[in-house]
Amino acid sequence: MSLHTSGISRWLAASPPVAWTVRQLRELLIGALRQGPIPQHVAFVMDGNRRFAREHHIETVEGHNMGFEALARILEVCYKTGVKVVTIYAFSIENFKRSKHEVDALMAMAKLKLGQLSEHGALLDRYGASIRILGQRNFVKPDVLEAIDKAVAMTAHNKRAILNVCFPYTSRDEITSAVKSTVEQFSTPIENIQTPSKRTFSASHITQHIRKKMLGEDNGDVSEQPDSRSTSPASSKEGKSAEDNHSSSTSTAINPPEKEESRGPTPAYPDAESITAETLTDHMLTAGAPPLDLLVRTSGVERLSDFMLWQCHENTSIVFLKCLWPEFDLWHFLPVLVEWQWQQKKLQEQLRGRGRSKADGSRI
Amino acid sequence: MASTGISPKEELAFRRGALDGKQMGPKEREEMIKAHLPPEPTSSSPSPSRSGSKQRKRRRSSQPKLKHGRVRAFLHFLIYQTISLIFSVFFRFRRAWRLSWYKMRAIMGHHHHTPEWIVSDVRNVERLPNHLSVILDYNEDDEDQGTAGVEGLLNDVCEIAAWSAAAGISFLSIYERKGVLKNYLPQTHAAIWKSLETYFGSRRRPTLTVKAPHMTSYSPPATPNSEPTENGASTARPHITVLLLSEHDGRDTLIDLTVTLAQMAQKGDVGINQIDSNLIDAELSDHVSTEPDLLILFSPTVVLKGYPPWQLRLTEIFHLPDNKGVNYQVFLQALQKYGKAEMRMGR
Repeated sequence: MSLHTSGISRWLAASPPVAWTVRQLRELLIGALRQGPIPQHVAFVMDGNRRFAREHHIETVEGHNMGFEALARILEVCYKTGVKVVTIYAFSIENFKRSKHEVDALMAMAKLKLGQLSEHGALLDRYGASIRILGQRNFVKPDVLEAIDKAVAMTAHNKRAILNVCFPYTSRDEITSAVKSTVEQFSTPIENIQTPSKRTFSASHITQHIRKKMLGEDNGDVSEQPDSRSTSPASSKEGKSAEDNHSSSTSTAINPPEKEESRGPTPAYPDAESITAETLTDHMLTAGAPPLDLLVRTSGVERLSDFMLWQCHENTSIVFLKCLWPEFDLWHFLPVLVEWQWQQKKLQEQLRGRGRSKADGSRI
Repeated sequence: MASTGISPKEELAFRRGALDGKQMGPKEREEMIKAHLPPEPTSSSPSPSRSGSKQRKRRRSSQPKLKHGRVRAFLHFLIYQTISLIFSVFFRFRRAWRLSWYKMRAIMGHHHHTPEWIVSDVRNVERLPNHLSVILDYNEDDEDQGTAGVEGLLNDVCEIAAWSAAAGISFLSIYERKGVLKNYLPQTHAAIWKSLETYFGSRRRPTLTVKAPHMTSYSPPATPNSEPTENGASTARPHITVLLLSEHDGRDTLIDLTVTLAQMAQKGDVGINQIDSNLIDAELSDHVSTEPDLLILFSPTVVLKGYPPWQLRLTEIFHLPDNKGVNYQVFLQALQKYGKAEMRMGR
C-alpha cells in the first residue's frame, strides 16, 4: 500500500459509503474471528518504521508516528477479538544508541501519546484495558516518567485486558532482574522466629554427630528429636540419616532443637531449593499474564532481538512477516490469526488422537 | 487509507491533532472517535455508540434487540466457518506446493556426499556463522520420514555435522528437547566419526569433539590435531565440536544458577549488586553454551520447544515454512540467508 495512491482510488476509498462498508466489514471479520480459539497473549515487535520512512521519503519521526497509528489499529483488532494481554516492544535499551534527535523525538512522542491517553480515561474504560510499562525506569527522563505514571494509574482499575508496553526493555535485563529479586527474596532472613525453618536438622549438627561417632567418644550431648517431622524430601533424607545415627547411639540426652536454632548465629532463610520455574516466572515483568501464545515480528527480520526470551521459548508460535510495521493492519494480521487457529485445531486433534491411541494401547 | 475505514479528514485530524485548522481539545477528539468505539462494557447503558448498532436501530427499530444479536452471531459463525474452510484448503495446497518445490530443489542441488560440492555451494556466502545451532525432533514413531527413534535422530545429527564440517563451521550445537543422545555420547561420537569418513575419507576427515553440558567432553586421544604428511611437514586438520543440548539446559539451568546464587547470598558470599547480566552470561556460556549466530529449524513453523532462552538473544532464526525433516536445502539456504543478513544491535 503506497502513501500516494492514484487519484480515483483514493477518492473512492475516501467516499463515505465505501469507508462505512469497509468499517462494517472489519467489524464483521473481527466478530467472525471471535468464534474460533483466540490467543490469550500476543506480542509484537514493531519493526520497520524507519525503513518505511526511508522508502516513502518521509522523516524518520513521521515513520514512527505512522507506526503508532498501526499500533492503535492493531490494538483495536486484538481487544475486539478477545485477546487478554498484548505486549509490544516499544523501545529497547539498545535503542539509546540511536541518534539523539531520534531518541528525543521518540520520548516526546511517548509523552504526548500517553498524555492524550490520560485525557480520555472514560474511553479507555470501554476497552477495559490497563496499561503497564515494563522496563528500566531509571533510564527514562522524569517528565516522561510522570506521563507514564499518570497513564498507568488512570487505567489500573481495568481488568479485562492488559497492554504491556516494553519501554527501555531487554529480555536479558528482565531475566537478570528476576534472578536478582529472587535471590533477594530468598536471602532475606525470615523475621518470624516462631516458625522454624523447613529443616529441623542442621547440617553442622549432623556432621558433629557423625564425627563424634567416628571418634568413638559418645559424650551424650547429641540432640535429635526422634519425633520431629520432615517437611521436604531433602530434609527427609537428612532426617533418615540422623535417625539411623540416633538408633545406633544409645545414650542421648535430649535437647530441644528449637533452642539449638535460636542459639545458632545463622538466621533462618527460606529454602533455596524450592525455587522453580514458576518462582522465576513470577519475578518476570510479565508476571501474572497468561503464557505467550503468539509473537509477531514485522519487516522480515528473523531474530528475537532480546525480546520475551523467557516467555517465548516454550510453545509460542513465532511469526515473521515481510511487511513493515506502519503497513501492518487487520489484513496482514488476519491470515496470521487464522493460521494460528488452524494449527491450534490440528494440535488438539493430534492430542486427542494420541490420547485415543494410548487408551487403545492400554486396553490391549 | 482504504482498508481502515477511516475518512482522510479524520485521519489527518488524528495525526495532527487539529480539525480544519483548529486545535482540538479532548472533548472534540472524543466526539470524533465515538463512531469507532466498542460498546460500553456494561450492557445497561442505553446509548448505543457503535455506528453499526445505530444503523440497525434505524432500519428495524421495532424488532427486539435479542434477535439482532442472534442474527449477528449466526452471521459471524457463518463467516468464521467460511474463512476457516477457505484457509484450510489454501494452507493444504500451499503446503503440498512448497513440499514438492523443496523436493525438487533437494534433487537438483544434492550434495552427493562430497565436501567439495558443499564448499562450492557456500562459496558465495559472505560470512559463515561461528556457532551454528539446530533444533531436531525425536520422533517416537515413524510417520512418513524414516527418522524414528534414536537411530533416526543420530542419522540426522551425523548428516548435519558432516555438512557443517564441509562448509567450514567449527562449532555446532544440537538441541533436542529430551536430550536422548546425551546418554549415548561415545556412540554418537563413533557415528559422526564414521559419517565424516564417508564424506571426507579417512585421511582428510576433520577431528571431532562431542560434548554436552555438565558432562566430560568426548574426544578420543587417538585423533591428533595434525598429522605428519609424507615430507615431514604437518598439516592442521579442521576441528569440529558438536554440543548436545536439551530442555534441561534452558530454564532448569537458569534455576540452578538462581538457587546457587541464593544459597551463596544466604551465606553472604555474594551481594545482590554483584549479580548482573555479565555474571549470568559468563556462567551460562562457560557451563552451557555461547550465543549461537544462526539457529536452523527443520520444523514447519517457528516454535522453540524450550531452547535455552538466554542464548537466543540476537540469534538469527531460520526455517522454511511447511518444511518437514532434516534436509540439505534448508541448511544451505539458512547459510545463504545468514550471509546476507545485517546486524544492527538496536541502531
